[in-house]
Amino acid sequence: MANGEVPNTASSPAVADPSESGSGSRFECCVCLDLLYKPVVLACGHTSCFWCVNKAMHGFRASYCPICRQPYYHFPNICQLLHYLLLKLEPEAYKRREMEVFEEEKSADIYSPQLVDQLCEKKLNSGGVGSSEYVDDSRHTELLKLSPEKTMKRSISVDDVLCSLCEVMIYKPMVLNCGHVYCETCLYGLSGDPLQCQICESLHPGEFPNVCFDLHHFLEEAFPTEYAVRREQVHLKKTQSLAVIPSANAVQTQNLKAKIPSETMDSWFTQDMHDIHVGVGCDSCGLYPISGKRYRCKDCKETVGFDLCETCYNTTSKLPGRFNQEHTPEHKFELDQSRTLANIFLLQRTQANTTVEIPPEGFEADALSVADTEHDYRNHDDPGRDDFI
Amino acid sequence: MMDVSRVQKELVECNRDKAISGVCISLADGGTDLSHLRGTIFGPVDTPYEGGIFAIDIRLTSGYPFEPPKMQFITKVWHPNISSQNGAICLDILKDQWSPALTLKTALLSLQALLSAPAPDDPQDAVVAKQYLDEYPTFVSTARYWTEAFAKGSSVSIEEKVQKLVDMGFPEDLVRSTLKSVNNDENLALEKLCS
Repeated sequence: MANGEVPNTASSPAVADPSESGSGSRFECCVCLDLLYKPVVLACGHTSCFWCVNKAMHGFRASYCPICRQPYYHFPNICQLLHYLLLKLEPEAYKRREMEVFEEEKSADIYSPQLVDQLCEKKLNSGGVGSSEYVDDSRHTELLKLSPEKTMKRSISVDDVLCSLCEVMIYKPMVLNCGHVYCETCLYGLSGDPLQCQICESLHPGEFPNVCFDLHHFLEEAFPTEYAVRREQVHLKKTQSLAVIPSANAVQTQNLKAKIPSETMDSWFTQDMHDIHVGVGCDSCGLYPISGKRYRCKDCKETVGFDLCETCYNTTSKLPGRFNQEHTPEHKFELDQSRTLANIFLLQRTQANTTVEIPPEGFEADALSVADTEHDYRNHDDPGRDDFI
Repeated sequence: MMDVSRVQKELVECNRDKAISGVCISLADGGTDLSHLRGTIFGPVDTPYEGGIFAIDIRLTSGYPFEPPKMQFITKVWHPNISSQNGAICLDILKDQWSPALTLKTALLSLQALLSAPAPDDPQDAVVAKQYLDEYPTFVSTARYWTEAFAKGSSVSIEEKVQKLVDMGFPEDLVRSTLKSVNNDENLALEKLCS
């Protein structure tokens, strides 16, 4: 596969005019209506910013894709391939976003995963989360410096959009929960249930991914010849092996008209959901809220805490925290039952004259906006806890 | 914390093609509070609401866009899904079917669609819904009468609008013709005069 260099100019059809600051671009977040920042791809293939997905998730039931309403339970990792692609495509707008978001994070004292700007250092490989790709310490300030070479537009090449598995240009990109990107055919070729990422070895919980059409259409426009060649190759392979691949398109359109089921307090209880940990997510697989056993790190000092669901606790996940916690494998865990729905309602009943607020939607109780509810819980709960809420 | 930059973007985006979409949003009462807005929709053609201009009060909570905007008709409307008393709206996307990917513009367009296609089986105003189902012709004439009476600016208020714009320094003839061209919407007229 030849490296098709694409001149990155404003006239290029796939690239938005930078003066529009991201809006109107193919890579506009459907929630904040700005340029995607730290993009997360849901299993349905729709894309949103890290914090936008975080805030849109529901604290004590399933979350629904803002666009197609497909239910999901896991907060996927940042898609690094897309992250670096955007950094190259719209460096100025992306850096602006970085600074805006960093200011918000600072004021809320909760941080998104910090990704190294590898562009100068090494060849970009497929994106995804590997612990080595995270900056460990003194992480924020340096990334924000605007050196001229960092804001300069770089042309993107096929090397920026390689499949994690076949290592040629991705065709019909699908993104796993860990953020790694595969070709549709490569992913269907993987055996095993649940799916396991071949790069980071983390399991892919939830629905089989759909094609990420934002990326698909971008590739179609940015690399017309190369993408057509890939289409031919895949088509040839398909007809040879007669492999039946269910159409991702069909799944998607099926869900477009979906409605959010109206859930009531009653239905939660009849569904035996009393072991839901309200507003607490698993830092490994992203399960949110955690249902069943919840393991809380005793050594992480961050207010957001570090939690694992039972599955991830038992598989000793290697992934770093979702909120840039300085968690290490040496840290100790304890079983935590304090924030299950059942306990919260019990608490509410026993302390009838004090209102216990169930935190609104959002991962880790939407820490960016509801930090003030923290005190309530600390006071009502056992006082010695250093955990968030 | 409300996403201020998103709301600003929405306002610009919505008002950019208001001539085509038939909906627009402005700050309520000419204030500066982005959480209190006023939407305007034109009554859809071939309905009893045709020719009417309907004002909608929009309040955004701190959770917006993760919580739906609170919308209520200011203009009195005779419609099964809109309260004839207080303008409260029964529409799923303003309640549990809200999604942060929806916008104020899409919500207003949905209201416009609701005017075209009432859902009497899920009524907000039971009296209107019953009339819609049992005596459709009466419903149509009542709805049309309400549109005439409440959704079209009265002559008095037009004079007030003219005076207000003349006071701003625009020539009276131009003010009158501009107001006429935008169905007597003061805000639209002002924008047109300034452009």
